[in-house]
Amino acid sequence: MAVMTYLQAISSALRDELRADERVLLMGEDIGVFGGAFKVTDGFAAEFGTDRVMDTPLAESAIIGCAVGAAVVGMRPVCEMQFSDFISCGFDQLVNVAGKMHYRQDLAVPLVVRLPSGGGFSGGPFHSQNPEALFMHSPGIKVVAPSTAADAKGLLHAAIHDPNPVCFMEHKHLYRRVKGEVADGIYETPFTARVARAGSDMVVIAYGAMVDVALKATEDLEGASVEVLDLRSLVPLDEDAILDSVARCSKVVIVDEANMTCAAGAQVAALIAEHGFEDLDGPVVRVATPDVPIPFSPPLEQAVLPGIDRVREACRELLAY
Amino acid sequence: MSSSPTETTGLVDVTMPQMGVSVAEGTLVAWRVGVGDPIGAEQTICEISTDKIDTEVPAPVSGVVAEILVEVDETVEVGVVMARIAVEGGNGAAAEVSAQSGAAPAVPAPAAPADPSAVAESGAVAEPADGPARMHPPGRRYSPVVSRIAAEHGIDLSAVAGTGRGGRVRKQDVLALVNGDGAGNGASAGEDPPMHIESPYRPDPVPATPVAAATAAAAADGEGLSRMRRQIGAHMKRSLDTAATCTTWIEADMSRVEAARAKLRVTALAFVARATIDALREHPALNAWLDGDAYTQVPEINLGIAVSLGDDGLIVPVIHRAHELSVEGLAARIREIAKRARARQLTADDVQGGTFTITNPGQYGSIMATPIINLPQVGILDLEAVVKRPVVVTDGDGNDSIAIRPMTILGLSWDHRALDGALSAQFLATVKRRLEGLAG
Repeated sequence: MAVMTYLQAISSALRDELRADERVLLMGEDIGVFGGAFKVTDGFAAEFGTDRVMDTPLAESAIIGCAVGAAVVGMRPVCEMQFSDFISCGFDQLVNVAGKMHYRQDLAVPLVVRLPSGGGFSGGPFHSQNPEALFMHSPGIKVVAPSTAADAKGLLHAAIHDPNPVCFMEHKHLYRRVKGEVADGIYETPFTARVARAGSDMVVIAYGAMVDVALKATEDLEGASVEVLDLRSLVPLDEDAILDSVARCSKVVIVDEANMTCAAGAQVAALIAEHGFEDLDGPVVRVATPDVPIPFSPPLEQAVLPGIDRVREACRELLAY
Repeated sequence: MSSSPTETTGLVDVTMPQMGVSVAEGTLVAWRVGVGDPIGAEQTICEISTDKIDTEVPAPVSGVVAEILVEVDETVEVGVVMARIAVEGGNGAAAEVSAQSGAAPAVPAPAAPADPSAVAESGAVAEPADGPARMHPPGRRYSPVVSRIAAEHGIDLSAVAGTGRGGRVRKQDVLALVNGDGAGNGASAGEDPPMHIESPYRPDPVPATPVAAATAAAAADGEGLSRMRRQIGAHMKRSLDTAATCTTWIEADMSRVEAARAKLRVTALAFVARATIDALREHPALNAWLDGDAYTQVPEINLGIAVSLGDDGLIVPVIHRAHELSVEGLAARIREIAKRARARQLTADDVQGGTFTITNPGQYGSIMATPIINLPQVGILDLEAVVKRPVVVTDGDGNDSIAIRPMTILGLSWDHRALDGALSAQFLATVKRRLEGLAG
């Protein structure tokens, strides 16, 4: 066991995989000589060479397209989008080529796309988005979103071992803020939800950076016993865990950092409406970023992102219902 | 935004706006309107000056200026209300309606199914009141889970007093009835209320819920005690007359139990039972019978669990060879014997051979009791409510801080004829250590 930041846990997973499996290679903009925009791959080029830690042109379509080809012939490519926002340039290669390859041609595409996502640091509209729901909507792609250092490493190992394309949503705001004990070596975290805190009066369902917000917002709600469910994986979605929490708690708040409409939480709400109806004791409440671009201005950004106060207020309202 | 609706009056506050991260106050330069003037949303209401900028403050809503609270040249902190605007139509009317909602209208007007485009616009940055407030209280409509539990237990919901907003019946309200009533099939396994389904005692007088009140009334004045009551009375009195009863308490931090029990979906009682068994193994002198002068330590642990039979009384079925059971096994056995006890299906074997008893009447929030020893046993452990309390905790470096922890007080009544206080204290300390040391 070592204590690592979320970012170090991601680096550690990549380093362990590169050492353990010669099929693993990394591709991305400035990840080699420069060590990556966030220094996730700092020193990697020196250890593994620039053939395995490849600096690419500023062309996301080319990065993912090459990686799909490499995956199909048996490599285990891990692509870094410098910011998850830039995935739009590689959308076709990921959604249409990688996502449908197995369906059309019975070929596995063991590809991981790392997507540094999320706001909270005044990155503005092009560097703060949470595009995970786009890929939840596209068949053939798995989507995971860790909230802790241990899960960041375990989920990345599991994603690299998975025979399907996996979008690995790593939250930039957590990179150096979240620290925790991380087991040594290679281990897999299952693509299932995790009860971050058990409770019985209400459950707050969240993932990524919103897990910590949910935990802090419900730390002390006049003695109410509030469960926090960390989804960890969005595709596959751990429906059993969600319905199980709903059955016990009967009141649900769903928090998304992504824009409200059709966000991951919307799918969770729909699931509960369809299969958890008999267990509900109040409306399913959602807290999310309104359908606006993320502002540069720090106070404006704080106003649109779901913060502790907004989540707490929503919880109070629902508890009193 | 520099406005927020004041709930009861239909007035909207105009506050000193936050003009920059470091700006804490502003000075009023000029009012553009007077009391009684109409004003439109976004129209300038006043001018202010801060140490960073001078600016105009727009009205947050359309209405009539009702109050002006800050004079020209006065400097006030950010957030201070400078004026109030009376809102015409919608908002004000709605506020009035909710203010007199006690006199419920015959047909509760549901929040108007506003046209979706309006929702999209105004809902963009949801104000806190936006969500749950909209779901307001249908005179007598019930949520799915409340309806289901009521149907399963034959509860007439129209007679249930709700504790939710506007008297709404919540899941907790109907569960309280189900558990308090102790009738029928009990709560389903998924819904263990905190720890007390096995509660042995009924409070007397009964809390004022209609159903319970009805049954309590059945015990009319002047009637003789039931056979079971007489037996309980005689047994308890004999114990007090015979044993040298002494009670010792210890406080335990239940954080780990609370965390672990949520994972295993079992009651805290099962954990306390397991910790008690472990403690009895360390201190076998308490797992014994004292009959006259004959004191016998018993090799196996047969654990009695006091179970309430509603108004009829209580009974103590025994889990034989309880030391062989895990926490989950104990939880299952406790549920099973409690169910059979309430269905009056216990056999003679089920209530014989107990070597130690646990009682758990904390359901109503009581925190300490002096339980009576179930002779010929020499000890009985009492588990009361788990209550969040501020406690002093010490970290690895020896620094003290105050933390909020779920605490409980464990009480042990013991027979001074069989043992002494030091042993009872050691036993309680062992139970405490086991409960606090559970692997997270």
